Amino acid sequence: MSFYDSRNILYDLSSFKNGEENAFKLVFENNYEKIVGFCCQFIPDREEAKNIAQQAFVKLWTNREEVNTCNGIRAFLYTAAKTDCLNYLRHEKYKLNYQQNILEKREKLLNQEILESFKFDRLEYMELEEMIQNALDKLPEKCRQVFVKSRFEYKKNREIADELGIALKSVESNITRALKILRKELKDVLPSVLWMF
Amino acid sequence: MDYTIIQKYLQGKASNEEKEQLFNWLDESTSNKDEYIEIKKIWALTSREENVEGKTWSDIEPSELKPAKTKTLQHWLARAAVFLLLISCGAIGGRIISKIVETPVYSQMYSVISPAGQMTNIELPDGTLVMLNSGTKIQYSGDFTDGNRQVYLEGEAFFDVQKDVEHPFIVKSELLGVKVYGTSFNIQAYPEDRAFTATLIEGSIGILNTSGEEVTKLVPGEKAYFEESETNIDIRKVDTAMYTSWKEGLVTFRNERLEDIAKQIERWYNVEIVIQKEGLGDERYFGTILKNKPIDQILEVLKLTTSLEYEIVPRANEPSLIYWK
Repeated sequence: MSFYDSRNILYDLSSFKNGEENAFKLVFENNYEKIVGFCCQFIPDREEAKNIAQQAFVKLWTNREEVNTCNGIRAFLYTAAKTDCLNYLRHEKYKLNYQQNILEKREKLLNQEILESFKFDRLEYMELEEMIQNALDKLPEKCRQVFVKSRFEYKKNREIADELGIALKSVESNITRALKILRKELKDVLPSVLWMF
Repeated sequence: MDYTIIQKYLQGKASNEEKEQLFNWLDESTSNKDEYIEIKKIWALTSREENVEGKTWSDIEPSELKPAKTKTLQHWLARAAVFLLLISCGAIGGRIISKIVETPVYSQMYSVISPAGQMTNIELPDGTLVMLNSGTKIQYSGDFTDGNRQVYLEGEAFFDVQKDVEHPFIVKSELLGVKVYGTSFNIQAYPEDRAFTATLIEGSIGILNTSGEEVTKLVPGEKAYFEESETNIDIRKVDTAMYTSWKEGLVTFRNERLEDIAKQIERWYNVEIVIQKEGLGDERYFGTILKNKPIDQILEVLKLTTSLEYEIVPRANEPSLIYWK
């Protein structure tokens, strides 16, 4: 099972744009978990993260006529999620200014920086998606198995260890290894902007 | 850096102590931070959250939302009428924040209106504080938070801009605009006045023409004044307190024509003033007025040094009518 398995499904773009229920259902099914997953990485409140993800689909629905390619759909969803996560974090930042501890504040600011640096420009995103898939394919077998189970099959480290008959430590080191390889492979498509200190 | 800590942190399992370690490492160098950011991006893009509740599109599909085809100003204004939300009413002088948030399109537009008779305080997403005088509207787009710190002003507002050297803060109005990096200043640009006044309290601002080019700069204590009918911008040193005193509910008039004062009173009190006596509109007044006092007290003050006489005619469901005679 790969992360981007759904890219093989060809959405019928015209029925999507015409607002046909079934076309939209398909888009929802193939992307909902990803968008929620993305939001959860930046918003500690899970319910809020789900809300934001659902709003991204509502926005896509209202603007479906503006989407021009199948790949544009996912780029649109990620962009909408990014924008709303940022809005939420910024709003929250001031609301909690006086009660939050320093660590939480730093986490929040860092998350904002990361979100800001995402560019889901349609072309760039297509390239990114393909490169992530290629990079995943290049992982050593064990490493790929662990990473896929951990990231796409909602498995806990303990469960993976049991399933593959390896030590818990080995699960952790394989995830680390996967991250290091992916980072190396994707270095050119994940440009970090220069940060001001 | 020990990647186990990064991994634990990404999986939400890091202890506070480990978080401290991670953040200290991030502080050590830009390359550390870049490395982490790249990892986190990969992590976020390969994330999935199991849909345990089995949410489907039918659960969240909006029932009556129509696709937004046009995004013209008229479109926004039409929606504005429908989705005007009164968010809070302050105790002093009845501040009202009205916020239009309903925006089912890609790039959201926000606008805040301070109605006639009200003053409104807002905090923009970047932390900039704006105080809107009566009858003022300010608009900004949803990508404000992405560093596009641009607002469009109709009316008068005092800005205390959050410092951000990377992203200039731009105020546009019908006639001129200003560009700043972090400072406090006052702008008066009511469309009906056909004039623009910017007063700088601290920092530095550039004055922009309608094409967004910087035409001149102000230093603290300076006021730029521009009238649509003129070709030059008039810049002079002023007592800035006179131009920002409205924030405290004080209004200072500097030899201003009663006709211009009438326009301001209309905005503060949400009344309609009709000047009947010939020449009265050209008489001048110098003095400070307490804006929060009842209108008849203000008019009494004006009467002291001008030939003004007045009559107030209350009207149902409409602003009161005041004759100046």
